[in-house]
Amino acid sequence: MEQQVESMSGSNNTGAATAGFKDAALFTLVAILAGLGIEILTGGGGIDMPGWPFNLVFLVVFGSLIFAVGLLYREHPLISWLGGIPLGLSLIVGLALLSLVGGVLPQDKFPPGSMVAMLRLNGMFSSWPFALVTLLFLFNLGLALVWKTIPFRAANLQFMLFHGGFWIALSCGLLGATQLERLVVPLYEGKASDVAYNRQTEEAIHLPFSIYLKDFQIEQYAPKFALYDPANDRLVEPKSKLVPEIGKGVKVEWPGLGSVTVLDYLPSALPGAHGTPVPGDNGVAFARVRIDENGKVSERWISSGGPRLKPLFVPMGSYFIVMADGAPKAFRSEVMLTGAGGEKRMETLEVNKPVDMQGWKLYQAGYDESAGRWSTLSLVEAVRDPWLPAVYVGFFMIMAGNVLFFWKGVKKMEAA
Amino acid sequence: MTLVEFPAMALAAVVCWAAGSLLQIPAKNSRIFGSLSWLFMLGGTLVLAWFLASYWIALERPPLRTLGETRLWYATLIPVVGFLVEYRYKIGWLKYYCMGLATVFLGINYLHPDVFEKALMPALQSPWFVPHVVVYLVGYVLLAASAVSGWHNVIQNFRGKRSEKGESMSHYLALLGFVLLTFGLIFGALWAKEAWGHYWTWDPKETWAFISWLAYLGYLHLVARKTDPRKLQWYLGLSFFVLLVCWFGVNYLPSAQNSVHTYSG
Repeated sequence: MEQQVESMSGSNNTGAATAGFKDAALFTLVAILAGLGIEILTGGGGIDMPGWPFNLVFLVVFGSLIFAVGLLYREHPLISWLGGIPLGLSLIVGLALLSLVGGVLPQDKFPPGSMVAMLRLNGMFSSWPFALVTLLFLFNLGLALVWKTIPFRAANLQFMLFHGGFWIALSCGLLGATQLERLVVPLYEGKASDVAYNRQTEEAIHLPFSIYLKDFQIEQYAPKFALYDPANDRLVEPKSKLVPEIGKGVKVEWPGLGSVTVLDYLPSALPGAHGTPVPGDNGVAFARVRIDENGKVSERWISSGGPRLKPLFVPMGSYFIVMADGAPKAFRSEVMLTGAGGEKRMETLEVNKPVDMQGWKLYQAGYDESAGRWSTLSLVEAVRDPWLPAVYVGFFMIMAGNVLFFWKGVKKMEAA
Repeated sequence: MTLVEFPAMALAAVVCWAAGSLLQIPAKNSRIFGSLSWLFMLGGTLVLAWFLASYWIALERPPLRTLGETRLWYATLIPVVGFLVEYRYKIGWLKYYCMGLATVFLGINYLHPDVFEKALMPALQSPWFVPHVVVYLVGYVLLAASAVSGWHNVIQNFRGKRSEKGESMSHYLALLGFVLLTFGLIFGALWAKEAWGHYWTWDPKETWAFISWLAYLGYLHLVARKTDPRKLQWYLGLSFFVLLVCWFGVNYLPSAQNSVHTYSG
């Protein structure tokens, strides 16, 4: 398939090179094999990306190199090929194939001596083959970008935004990864802490501010009825295929077995003197139910139970009616943040609603799941990613380019 | 409306589509039959749209969480693409494939019924939830239509009946699908930053979304290289299989153990 290359710079006059897809595919293959070779020689150690400030230095040098080579040797057949579509396409295929391996094999799940680990196929996205192909891809994309940007033409705006955005997001995302910090901060109710832990190394780090946990709360969906079949250890589906939420007046039928009607529902109660629960704070859910076993009617209390309270369930034939706790609907921590200078701020941390504090983003991450809604432990994640703004600039450029692409596409489609 | 009514509603939709399709035969010679046929076909889709709306109300959350729920959306939207293509391009055959595909999705949902489940885990309670999933849904719908027309074009080529109009249609469907795929990918990243602390963690679903995005990125560059459109029909037909892996196949891969995306379905 040797054919005349039409450079990505399109109408900009660049020299045509004679190298096609075959050479580009071979070149990509060599890069992948070289990467795998390095992995075998280093025992699958992966690539150590440069940390601060070398990542920035690398980015500046690499970017300048692309600019210089792109502008000075624009007419050179080899450079023209390096920035051309055939190589770009081969590298896209290369990236897709490496990602495919990384998307099929579980990452970080193989014994160290195994073939998979030696080739670092279990750590694909920090491996040498992936890094080399990405580096070449950025070089190819960068050259094409320089040629489309200089001289500037408004008609190329969509190309510049989309390709430039991708270049920035990819390069800054990968180079910034070494400076990404994701730490866990365990907090107990009524106590303040500034100690955070690295998940992998378990190293303790002091944050520049402290967090006092005033209160941790969990909201749950309403508890549900379930019919438990002890003989087969499974839950029986009700007639309506509806997992019924418990509430006063709710009636559930299981065909051939009977029905259950809720007469009374107490979302939070404690057992009383005569087996009748008494409503109160910090209790568990109780429901008084009427059980109709094909004509045989009885009334009983059932309960989901809690850490200190046994659940109450009632037999129906050879089955049991149980009350299953509702899934967590929301969990949140009310915290007081105190900065290094003593400034204080009350905040609520909730899933999907992180809070910014002195360059860190604080997330509600978890709690003591064995204690459920009685948990007094809240796990907060503190994340710092200084390269995030650059990556977001890339994202927004891609989206802007995408809007223009859509616009142009629709116009062309209408003309077609 | 809950899933108890689903079989009846699905059957009503399929019967409407089938009746509408059959009425296309006499419609060639009669305007009345033509209108009646369209009334039936659009009616089938409206039945599903109505079901989706009332299901949404009953669930008290967007029905966009489980695979079964996403299949409901595909079944509703794919025929719409077929109808729009006929309206815009006067190409009639695509709608039959689309209604056929929608029937398959409804059939899968009938054989594997979802459990009516209102709960939405906290991470999914986000303003990004609906835009992220809807943009992907529409993107997949367009790319499914482009794959179907790709295969149709391949077959027509074999029969020596090449249609440049058909090739241009599959191209534009893929192009629009790619635009939505890109938005879906970035919306997902922006959401992940808010919910999980980082925008990209090579979660298997993310990795497959990236692979499918690269597949269509490759397609667009082949087009830019002026590749023979007849070869590209194969490419479009096959690329959709990558999307299928990303949509639900990823749940069956060894890598899925640690995914945040392995929702039920």
